[in-house]
Amino acid sequence: MEHNSFPNTDIQPILEAENLSMRYEDGNLALDHVNFKVGPGEIFVLLGANGAGKTTTINLFLNFIEPTDGQALIDGIPTHKDPLAAKRKVAYVSENVMLYPHFTAIQNADYFARIGGQNHYTENDYRDVLRRVGLEDEAHHRKLKTFSKGMRQKCGIAIAILKNAPAILLDEPTSGLDPKAGHEFINLLHSLRDEGKAILMSTHDIFRAKTIADEVGIMNKGILVMKRTREELANENLEKLYIDYMTGNGTLGGGEDHD
Amino acid sequence: MIKLIIRKELKEVIGSPKFIASFVVSSILILLTFYIGAQNHHRNVSRYEAVMTANLRKMEGLTDWMRVNNHRIFLPPQPLEALVNGVSNDIGRTVQMHGQGELTARSSRFNDDPVFAVFRFLDLDFVFQIVLSLFAILFAYDAINGEKERGTLRLTFASDVPRATYILGKWLGSFLAVGIPLLIPILLGGICLPIFGVVLSGVEWIRLGLIVLAGLLYFGVFLSLALLFSVSTHRPSNAFLGLLVSWILLVMIIPRTAVLLAGRAVDVPSIDDHNFQKAQFRSQLWDEDREKMRNFSTGDATDSQGVMGKFNEFMSELSRDRQEKMDELAARLNGERRLKQNSQQAVAFAMARISPSAVFSLAASRLSDTSLDQKAHFLDEAAGYQKTYAEFKKEKTGMNMGSGMVMMFFSGDEEEKKPIDVNELPKFDYHPTQLGDAVSSALFDMGLLVIFNLLFFAGTFVKFMRYDVR
Repeated sequence: MEHNSFPNTDIQPILEAENLSMRYEDGNLALDHVNFKVGPGEIFVLLGANGAGKTTTINLFLNFIEPTDGQALIDGIPTHKDPLAAKRKVAYVSENVMLYPHFTAIQNADYFARIGGQNHYTENDYRDVLRRVGLEDEAHHRKLKTFSKGMRQKCGIAIAILKNAPAILLDEPTSGLDPKAGHEFINLLHSLRDEGKAILMSTHDIFRAKTIADEVGIMNKGILVMKRTREELANENLEKLYIDYMTGNGTLGGGEDHD
Repeated sequence: MIKLIIRKELKEVIGSPKFIASFVVSSILILLTFYIGAQNHHRNVSRYEAVMTANLRKMEGLTDWMRVNNHRIFLPPQPLEALVNGVSNDIGRTVQMHGQGELTARSSRFNDDPVFAVFRFLDLDFVFQIVLSLFAILFAYDAINGEKERGTLRLTFASDVPRATYILGKWLGSFLAVGIPLLIPILLGGICLPIFGVVLSGVEWIRLGLIVLAGLLYFGVFLSLALLFSVSTHRPSNAFLGLLVSWILLVMIIPRTAVLLAGRAVDVPSIDDHNFQKAQFRSQLWDEDREKMRNFSTGDATDSQGVMGKFNEFMSELSRDRQEKMDELAARLNGERRLKQNSQQAVAFAMARISPSAVFSLAASRLSDTSLDQKAHFLDEAAGYQKTYAEFKKEKTGMNMGSGMVMMFFSGDEEEKKPIDVNELPKFDYHPTQLGDAVSSALFDMGLLVIFNLLFFAGTFVKFMRYDVR
């Protein structure tokens, strides 16, 4: 599926990092004045090696940690100032979805949907969403402890969909997925984007980043060293760009580089 | 929101295999406690009736109440003793009646059957103190850090869940999920008691209910402690290890050490010391009285009845004087000993109360009337009976009790005397402590259990407010 919308600066962003910085107590600078915006119907992919600051960025959006400078905004709400209001507007999928092992898929979905403020779903609604993420009917009433990693990941995405929030944060959601599940996941993400969701995803999978993203940001040592839209990347080799930026040989291209 | 968290906790705990295993084990233990308790109660009642009969049988055939000098009274078994043993098996349950003087309770159940003292009986005190506290730890040691390890904590707090609501819901959910199902076997055991042939009075049901309430408070203490460890450690295995060490300290070591230290801190003179002092004094008094006896004069009495009367009067007077002096000494020694014992007890209990286990045990034994006070209460009741008994004997014999020496004159030509009617003996009716007294004495310890709950939960709450959910 080809998506035609590109980052539009006129539209109010749903997710926004504004000089977002994080320095840990030990003095380690995990994030250094990161800026980006994700509007409705956009997928922004943060690409980087382990420890680049991708998960820290997501943690700041979820207010699991507070920024030492700058701010993360969800629908205009600074997450560290009003975390509960901000969290109402965001759904989250972690790298390794575990959920409650003694609950069935539907029980897990029901609990987290209600935790997310959605109390109106029927069992059919849960089944529809679970089917949508690719979970077979027979799995709906199975306990999570019998699920494979891919199935758990699908369940996690279903929970994020059920929250019906305008923004979705995905932290390395494709790690460990087999090619078929990975392909299904990409299609699902595109359909969510088409519904107008603002999606921020972190990954170190260059291939998937290129396939999924409307905009890609490369992070290195807490710095967002490069941002490129899908259009800009059409004529560039993302893999080469990535290696260049990782090794410190990054050059100014058609997009926006960190200064 | 809190209802949702509680409901999730209930579902999660009740659906887990460890709950099913724990529920089965605790149900068996609790039902067994009621069954064994009922059996022990029946055995104790049979023994009580047997010794009561034997006591009266010894008097059968006697023709003079003067010869009745081995009358004993017995502490009747109470149904709650079988469910919460306390010290009921360790204290003397028999008091020899002399009609005056000091009373000593002898012949404890464990003294008669020492084998039972080796492992003790299964009772509710044991089930709550040991088994349920371990279950509380088992269910809550990974309540927070386990969720963190699973990643469910991140997912939960990615939504607008207030931390205070979450931790309160977690505590309430765990308490209801583990504590309330345990009430089922307790209720079942209670229902089975009449089937097992043990009938509790209304007051005893209230006492049992309060014991269970104290047990739930105690269970809550360990649940709160487990939550505190769960938010204070990163890994569930570390929390479990820490809790195990704390459990050993709180349940096994502190109460025993407290008694040991109190024994060292406050020296209570031994009963043997007292008995030696009393024996010496008695011997000294006898020497003095013998001197007085040498100077005994019948006065102007010439007939044998007159001489006997004078002699009995003289001896009664000597005995009264001697007894008064002995009572005075005994009262002084006992008073001193009781003071020391009380301060030793106060020191031991104050130190032991660091441990919720000791606090629960004290509350449960007070509510079941099997605390250390049971012995004192029995002796008080016996002292009350002794007065009635002395009056009865005086009425029957015309003499004060304990005169030590009685001169009896038999002419040989009087008609044969009829045997005494042992049913005339006044009955000893033991009245357990009033419910109000038991509750007020247990209230302090139950309050302490509430404080332990609040303290540990407050610690958990403060820690969780700053907990890194990542």
